[in-house]
Amino acid sequence: MEVVKLEEAVRIYQVGEVETPALRGLNLTITEGEFTAMVGPSGSGKTTALQLMGCLDRPTSGKVYFEGRDVTELNANARADLRKGTISFIFQFFALIPGLSAYENIELPLVLTGEKKSARKERVNELLEAVGLTDRAEHRPDQLSGGEQQRVAIARALSVRPVLVLGDEPTANLDTDTGHQVMAIMERLNEETGTTFVFATHDPRVIPFARRVIRLRDGRAVDGENGREEESE
Amino acid sequence: MFKLWKLATRNLRRNKRRSGLTLIAVMVGLALVIVIHDLEMGAIQGSIDNNIRLQTGHIQVRDASYEKDKLPLKWDDLIENPQEIVARAQGFSQVQAAAPVLWASGILAAGEESVSVQVSGITPQSGLSDPYREGLVAGEFLTPDDRTGLLIGKRLADSLDISVGDDVSLLVNTAEGQPDEAIFTIRGLYHTGFPAFDEGTVFLPLAKAQAFTRVGDRASAVVALLHDKEATGTVATALQAPELEVLTWRDLNQLMLQGTEAAMGILYLVYLVVLAIVAVVVANTLLMSVFERTREMGILAAMGMKGRQIMAMFLIESAALGAIGIVMGLLLGSAGVYYLATEGFYLGDVSGMVSSELAYGERMYAAFQWADTAVLCLVCWAIILLASLYPAWFATRKEPIEALRAQ
Repeated sequence: MEVVKLEEAVRIYQVGEVETPALRGLNLTITEGEFTAMVGPSGSGKTTALQLMGCLDRPTSGKVYFEGRDVTELNANARADLRKGTISFIFQFFALIPGLSAYENIELPLVLTGEKKSARKERVNELLEAVGLTDRAEHRPDQLSGGEQQRVAIARALSVRPVLVLGDEPTANLDTDTGHQVMAIMERLNEETGTTFVFATHDPRVIPFARRVIRLRDGRAVDGENGREEESE
Repeated sequence: MFKLWKLATRNLRRNKRRSGLTLIAVMVGLALVIVIHDLEMGAIQGSIDNNIRLQTGHIQVRDASYEKDKLPLKWDDLIENPQEIVARAQGFSQVQAAAPVLWASGILAAGEESVSVQVSGITPQSGLSDPYREGLVAGEFLTPDDRTGLLIGKRLADSLDISVGDDVSLLVNTAEGQPDEAIFTIRGLYHTGFPAFDEGTVFLPLAKAQAFTRVGDRASAVVALLHDKEATGTVATALQAPELEVLTWRDLNQLMLQGTEAAMGILYLVYLVVLAIVAVVVANTLLMSVFERTREMGILAAMGMKGRQIMAMFLIESAALGAIGIVMGLLLGSAGVYYLATEGFYLGDVSGMVSSELAYGERMYAAFQWADTAVLCLVCWAIILLASLYPAWFATRKEPIEALRAQ
């Protein structure tokens, strides 16, 4: 089943008088359960493509479909509603809320989706265990290592059982071993839960984890229209 | 909502120094406003109460033609049968004391010096004379049948370098319009704590004052003190009679009440300025917080939090900051008011310079104004929330992707 689809997606950023095209007609389709890497050099449009897929942004032209529905023209509130409980993000900079503990950070999206407290507790504990941080539940982000913070971010991304998890350079700020651990956790959770993962990276060490690789250059998929040309492994 | 509240309050704890300084600004600002307000209101209430106690009473019954400013002594301007009115007044249970009073203008001379004074003919045994009796600091109080004694303020005696037992000359205008002069012996010195009053008023027994000014049994007014100020209207209405004018403490203190209203108008402006400064400090704190947490807002937006929820989070933050600051300000302000209500604010001789009409004491005492304080706290809170609207709105202005790019 198709999760997200970009159709001739163009995104041009306007900085003052200067127009900078980030995507120049990208076509790609992500289906349910994929574990896909989007690779390419800086400026190739990886982050922009993730933002369009995650309904954080709208294309300058072209279409975005989410679960078959055209979401291109949705306004900010409607996109926020769509993201809530459906699309999760894992960022390069860990992106935890500083004032909240690991437990509370994971719990936050569940609060936003209106889950009951007992259900939240069960889910958060389950995820803390899944990412191996049960004993760090009450620690705040500044009391956790980079790898631990990223594991919390993964647990938080999965807390609402989203349809799609988008990772933007999730291992960029981690050392090799920790990066491998984080990728292994994401891979395992993808296999166990069937959640669709798409992550942008330019780290060649994490590419082998992906079952599908989409190469971007200058805002287009390098190997063809739908970006399905290369299967790893 | 709960989580928003939790997020907001945790954010306050994140930058303790900044939150602390903001709280101090709210606390000091509100405390200042509360202290100024309660001191001013206390001074006004005290001043009115003292004016009633020392000069006007709650009710005065006068002849319809009597003009107090001129202190007339013509028979037509005076009450012919004051004792009848006293008897009627005393028939009301609300009346604590009632007695006739005769006022005249005079010149008191001692040695080479002379001063203009108001001569008050009083009924020494009446409750109306209690404030002067209680204020006696030397000598003895007047008796009703004393024909040669008078009572003067300690301050006036000091300024004329005279004391108990000394003789002074008193010149008054009589009912016929002719001046008359007599020698009196100072029986006692009084001190009420109100310099303007003490320096300008001398007391004679009513009978002597009537004889001296040749007004017969007439009096300038019958003054009544009530147990409760609230009963003024009822008693005043009941005392109405043809050719008489019945004035209440409100009529008699009109100048003061009008002045008070004008003063309060200026004070409210001062309160607004102080609270506006507090609001600017809070808004600045919040705006800095918004700048610092731009990326965090991007993360929350990515999770599906809407602009209005982010705005609500910042408003909760300022509401919490405001509420804590207000509680602290209330405690500090109340402590200040308590001190000024018990110890007072020393004015000294300045009080006499403030006004010769108004009964300002040597000390101003604050009085707790709980209802006004509650309103001030709410206004302070509302102003803080209003000032927070801009930073809160500013926080929602950025698109999630821009917010996520922030450092």
